[in-house]
Amino acid sequence: MAGRDLGVNGQGTGPGTDGPLPGDTGGFGGDGRGVGLPGASAPAGNGSPAGGAVRVSPLIFVRLKLRLIAGNLRGNGVRLAGFIFTVIAAIAVATFGFLGLSALRFAPDDVAVDVGVVLFTIFLVSWAVGPLLVFGLDDTLDPSRLALFPLRTGQLAAGMFATSITGVWPIATLILMSGAIAGLAGGIGGVLLGVVAVLLQFALCIVTSRLITTALSGVMRTRRGRDVLAISVIFFVLAGQLPNLLLNGGFSADPGRMLHAIASVLRWTPPGMAAHAIADGGLVAVAELVVLAALVLVIGRLWIAALRKALVTTDASTEGASVRNSRGVLARFLPDGQLAAVATKELKYARRDPRGRVVWFTSVAVTGVMAFSLSRGEGAGGIGLVVGPACLGAVMIALQSANSFGIDGRSLWMNSVVYGTGRAWRTDLAGRHLAVATIATPLLGLLAVLAALLAGNPLWAVPGALTAWGVLGVGLGVGAMTSVLVPYSVPERLNAFTGAVPGQGGIAFVASFGAMIGGGLLALPVTVPILLGVTWVSALAVPYGLLVSWAGRRMAGDIGFRRYPELVGAVSQGS
Amino acid sequence: MTDSAEAVRTQRLFKRFGQQVAVGGVDLVVPRGSFAGLVGPNGAGKTTTLSMVTGLLRPDDGAIHIDGLDVWRDPVAVKARIGVLPEGLRLFERLSGRELLSYNGQLRGIPKTEVERRTEELLRVMDLADSADKLVVDYSTGMRKKIGLAAALLHNPRVLFLDEPFEGVDPVSANTLTEVLRRYTASGATVVFSSHVMDLVERLCDWVSVMSRGQIVAQGPLDQVRAGRSLNEAFLGLVGARGEGHGQDGGEGLSWLGATSA
Repeated sequence: MAGRDLGVNGQGTGPGTDGPLPGDTGGFGGDGRGVGLPGASAPAGNGSPAGGAVRVSPLIFVRLKLRLIAGNLRGNGVRLAGFIFTVIAAIAVATFGFLGLSALRFAPDDVAVDVGVVLFTIFLVSWAVGPLLVFGLDDTLDPSRLALFPLRTGQLAAGMFATSITGVWPIATLILMSGAIAGLAGGIGGVLLGVVAVLLQFALCIVTSRLITTALSGVMRTRRGRDVLAISVIFFVLAGQLPNLLLNGGFSADPGRMLHAIASVLRWTPPGMAAHAIADGGLVAVAELVVLAALVLVIGRLWIAALRKALVTTDASTEGASVRNSRGVLARFLPDGQLAAVATKELKYARRDPRGRVVWFTSVAVTGVMAFSLSRGEGAGGIGLVVGPACLGAVMIALQSANSFGIDGRSLWMNSVVYGTGRAWRTDLAGRHLAVATIATPLLGLLAVLAALLAGNPLWAVPGALTAWGVLGVGLGVGAMTSVLVPYSVPERLNAFTGAVPGQGGIAFVASFGAMIGGGLLALPVTVPILLGVTWVSALAVPYGLLVSWAGRRMAGDIGFRRYPELVGAVSQGS
Repeated sequence: MTDSAEAVRTQRLFKRFGQQVAVGGVDLVVPRGSFAGLVGPNGAGKTTTLSMVTGLLRPDDGAIHIDGLDVWRDPVAVKARIGVLPEGLRLFERLSGRELLSYNGQLRGIPKTEVERRTEELLRVMDLADSADKLVVDYSTGMRKKIGLAAALLHNPRVLFLDEPFEGVDPVSANTLTEVLRRYTASGATVVFSSHVMDLVERLCDWVSVMSRGQIVAQGPLDQVRAGRSLNEAFLGLVGARGEGHGQDGGEGLSWLGATSA
């Protein structure tokens, strides 16, 4: 990424340009006109942009982004496959989303508007929160890498905006949302205003998402900040679950009224106004769009301010406090050696690494919310109310282990220069599993008890906990395999909350889904009988889980040893 | 088996990344007990070679022997015998310095009491005792290099591989590092380190291998390689650099550069 790549052109190079342009605060002379101009103390070289800003078209950033994407994929089959997978997924989302939104035309007008309002709000929330939580959705350029180029913040913002919309998911979102024009607009005015509304809504999504990641990127540069931020991510997760909870609570009563009640509130939010404007197509719509445009501008300004701040803020957390030099509970029970070393290290990481904390808190929070909302649902009932949430919790926790070596990342060489056998890798995985189980076993037990109390039969806690522990074992066994077969890097800095470094998002997706599907299938032998009422099968769940996790480790250990240079390489990408 | 006089020997070591040949048939030789410097310009293939020799990167072709043992066929014996400090500062950042060392010791199956003893000594010698309980993530570059070296030395390896150990290290820390390494080689162990800093290599090493464009262009005892010149001059000659800074292009290009231009 040299200046040539960015196509940086000095102003005043061309014969037709003379002198600084109005509004240019840098103040430098064009060719031969350096003397006498205010602020022209820099030597007026052969068109070199000696002291001021330069003109850079956002297109250059788009080219840079495309080049980065292509560069990431070059010569790497797995990444290419992941990328193709992402593209297919995005095309599917765009197509079905577009058709789905267009189909609102067949719904009664007021219902259609209500649905549009709710959906537009969901899009905005997903864009705001998504890049923080979901795998590699956000692989925009790191602004700090561009900090040394003579770009004004406004130009940088325009460029960053251009790179933000250059991507598979932004385009899919745009297509999807234009479905609303087909679905909601009435008459030519509605269509015209609809196009504006969709574009504004799209811009709002992007700018909001950028503002949040940029604002947080500043915070994330300090270690303390990142650590504190871990907690706010939990808040986002919970907030994301909120509509789910509301819907679950209310749908049983009257879906139509519930929808209308929600929409009547959301209608006054910016995305709600966008959706409403498409349907309205009149003067009210124009007023709404003006408000929306103003909001986009305000958020854009805020983003530029955040960007400016992020570029000059450095890591301020070199002063570290000491840690307690404790050996931990686990080390007291385990024989001295590799297993104890890995297990205690993993437990320390779960506590000290913000990423470790985020995944744990996320698992717990999502499971808690799910358990709560399931228990409030009507119908089904029975033991499923206990086994369901408990197993869900087990799956959520086991998914952390779908990429066991990811958090070690670039440090994993330290283990790989020691391990000379498949057995050593197996022990390593066992240590990781032991650490997960140390936290998860009591947690799942507690969850089962809570779910049983909510479901009204405390005795169900026993099969619930047993099944959950079994499912955890299955999940860990499958996770061991995905950890060695589709490993990917978890970024350390800046985008600490995306699941993978740029270009590996698809792999992360494959790993998570592979683990989920594989684990789900392998868990069927114990979960299905229990859900059908054959409760005693739960007694077999734990041995079965242990067996699967042992088998997973056994196979994964040998595979891991055979391809450890590739494994270390795959988790050492990026940052 | 281990009576080989060479600590390290590679034969026709080859690695390519896509179209780019990073290491094209390297025959690296390091006699046992030597303090060896691997020098070469950026992109010469030093890091790639060291990664392959230490078993962190799979070579496309060629053989590597350490103390006569094949790195890729006999990994257990080789891994017990080598210590590694790779490029960059890739350490377990969320462990404290002390925890990092004991983690390494335990991983290698050294008894706990022995690990503790060695850890305390290493921390003291490396002048890290005061920061032993701080997280590595909060360490400075020099401290990281020192804790990395301590971790590489903990199991008393026979051969130590260090990739740019002195890069970004302050003079005080560098002095500590060289003292430790000197004492270590004096006992008959072997050190192989890569560097751009010719003065340092000249001062420390008794054996030099010069790499350029994926090849070894000179290799042997320091005095033989420099052949009466300074190592820097010999090096520039070997890698074919235009030593004076105003070669064919130097005078013509870059005419706009500098305060007196235009």
